[in-house]
Amino acid sequence: MSAATIGKYAAFARISATQASRERNELYGRMAFFAVILGVFSSLWRAVAEAGMPVAADPKSLVWYLAATEWILLSAPPIHIEIQAAIRRGDVVYRLGHPVSYALAEFATGFGLLAVRAPFLGLTAFLCAFAFTGWTPPLTALLMVVPFGFVASTLITALYLGIGLLAFWLQDVAPVFWVWQKLMFVLGGLMLPLELYPAFIQRAAAFTPFPWLLAAPASVVLGTHPVTPGALTRHLVIWSGVTAIAVSWVFRRAVSTVTINGG
Amino acid sequence: MVADNVSFTRALVATNFKATVALRGAFVMQVVFMALNNFTFFIFWWALMQRVTTLRGWQLGDIQMLFGIVAAAFGLTVTVAGGVRHLGRFIEDGDLDTLLTQPQPVLVNALGLRSQPSGFGDLVSGLIFIVWSGQISWSRLPIVVVVIAASAVIFVACGTVFFSLAFWLGRVETVATQLWELLVTFSLYPEPLFGGTLRLLLFTVLPAGFVGYLPVRILRAPSLANVTILMFVVIGYLCLAVLIFDRGLRRYGSGSRFTTFG
Repeated sequence: MSAATIGKYAAFARISATQASRERNELYGRMAFFAVILGVFSSLWRAVAEAGMPVAADPKSLVWYLAATEWILLSAPPIHIEIQAAIRRGDVVYRLGHPVSYALAEFATGFGLLAVRAPFLGLTAFLCAFAFTGWTPPLTALLMVVPFGFVASTLITALYLGIGLLAFWLQDVAPVFWVWQKLMFVLGGLMLPLELYPAFIQRAAAFTPFPWLLAAPASVVLGTHPVTPGALTRHLVIWSGVTAIAVSWVFRRAVSTVTINGG
Repeated sequence: MVADNVSFTRALVATNFKATVALRGAFVMQVVFMALNNFTFFIFWWALMQRVTTLRGWQLGDIQMLFGIVAAAFGLTVTVAGGVRHLGRFIEDGDLDTLLTQPQPVLVNALGLRSQPSGFGDLVSGLIFIVWSGQISWSRLPIVVVVIAASAVIFVACGTVFFSLAFWLGRVETVATQLWELLVTFSLYPEPLFGGTLRLLLFTVLPAGFVGYLPVRILRAPSLANVTILMFVVIGYLCLAVLIFDRGLRRYGSGSRFTTFG
C-alpha cells in the first residue's frame, strides 16, 4: 500500500475522530454506563467474597479485570449499525464507485472513532476502578494492558465491519451481532475469568479469537496466570490476519452479488 | 371511552403482530437469536453459581426467576408498546403531527407504532427461565402472568417518562436511552447486591426494584400485601407517565411534516 493510499484512509480516520470529539453525547453515555457496570460488579464481587472466592484472585483485582475487558469492548465503535443503514438506504452504491475501498474506508472511520473513545473510556475505567477498590494494579501490568487492549479493540472494530457487511445478504444483522456479542461475553471472559467456566467452554474458547481479545490482555491485572507479551502478540497477529482475509472475502463476494438499478 | 381505547389497543396490537410476522424468515431469526442471546448471557450466572451456591441468600433458581420476569416483561413491552423507545424521536422530529389529528389517544397510538419481533424471543426465553427455575407450580401461573404484566407496564411508564423529556429538553435520545438501559441492567442483578442510596434510587427514579425484585419476592412467597403494593406502584407510574406526556404534549411544536407510519 502506497503512502498516498494510506493518506486517503488516514483522512477518513481523521475526519471521524474530529466529528467524534465534537459530538460527545454518546461517549458520555457510554462512560456513565461503564461506571455503573463497574459499580454493580464491585458489589457483586464483594458479595461473592463473602461466600468464598471461587478463584485465586481477590475481589479488587477482579474489578480491575472487568475494567480492562469492558474498556476494550466499549472502546470499539459499533460500525456495523452505520454500514447496515448505508446498505439498506442504498447509499453504499454511490460509495462503491469512489476511488477508495468501501470496506477499508469504513474501517478507517471506525478507527478514528476508536482513537477518540479509548482514552476517555480508559480514564473512566481507571478512575472508577480505583474509586471502587481503593487500589491499583502494578504499573507494569497497566502498561501492558493499554497497548494490547487498544490493538484488541481495533480487531473488534474489524470484526464489527465484517458483521456490518453481512447486511448485503441479511435484512437485519442485529441478531448476528447479539449472538456474537454474547459469545464474546462468555468465550472472551468479559465478566468472569475463563478459568471459572467449565472445561468444555474453556476448550471451545481456545478455537476462537475471543479470549485473545478480552481475557488475555485483561488477565495481566489479575496476576494469577499472566500471559506473556510474546504469546499475546503472536495470537493477535494471527487473528488479525484471519479477520482481514475473512472480511476481504465477504466484501468481494458482496460487491460481486450486489445489483444496481437505475441511472 | 375506556372500552373504545381497549378495543383500539387490541386492534393496534393485532395489526402490529400481522405486520411483524409478515416477513416470516426475519421474524423467526430475530426470535431465535434473541432467545439464544438471553441464554448465552445467562451462562455467566450459571458458571458463577456453580462455584458460589448462595449469593446473600439468592440461589441460581432465584436469579433464573428474576431473569425470566424481566426478559418476559421487556419482551411484552417491545412487542406491544415498541413505540416507547422511539417516543423521543417522534417528539423531536415532529412525527406526532399525524397522530394528533386522529380520534384515538396520542400516547396509546404512539406506543403501538413499532413492534419489535425480537420481543417474542425475550418473552419466550423469559417464560423458559421461569419454568427452569423450578420454583413455580401451576397454581402460581396466574401470579406469574400478573407480575409479568405489572413489570411490563412499569417498563412502558418509565420509558414514556424518560423519552417524554424531549418535550422540554429537545434532543434527549441518548440520555433517555441510557436511563432505559440502566433500568434494564439494574433489574437483571440480584436485589441484595445494592444498598443505601442506590437502593432508594432503584425503588424510585429507576424502579428496577418494582420491575424485578418485588415480583420475585411475590413469586417466592405470594402475599396480598406485596401484590397490593405492586398494583399501587403500577397505577402510580402509569398515572405519572400519562400526566407527564399530556403536559409535554401541550408544549409540543409541530414538525409541519407529512409522515406515513407503517
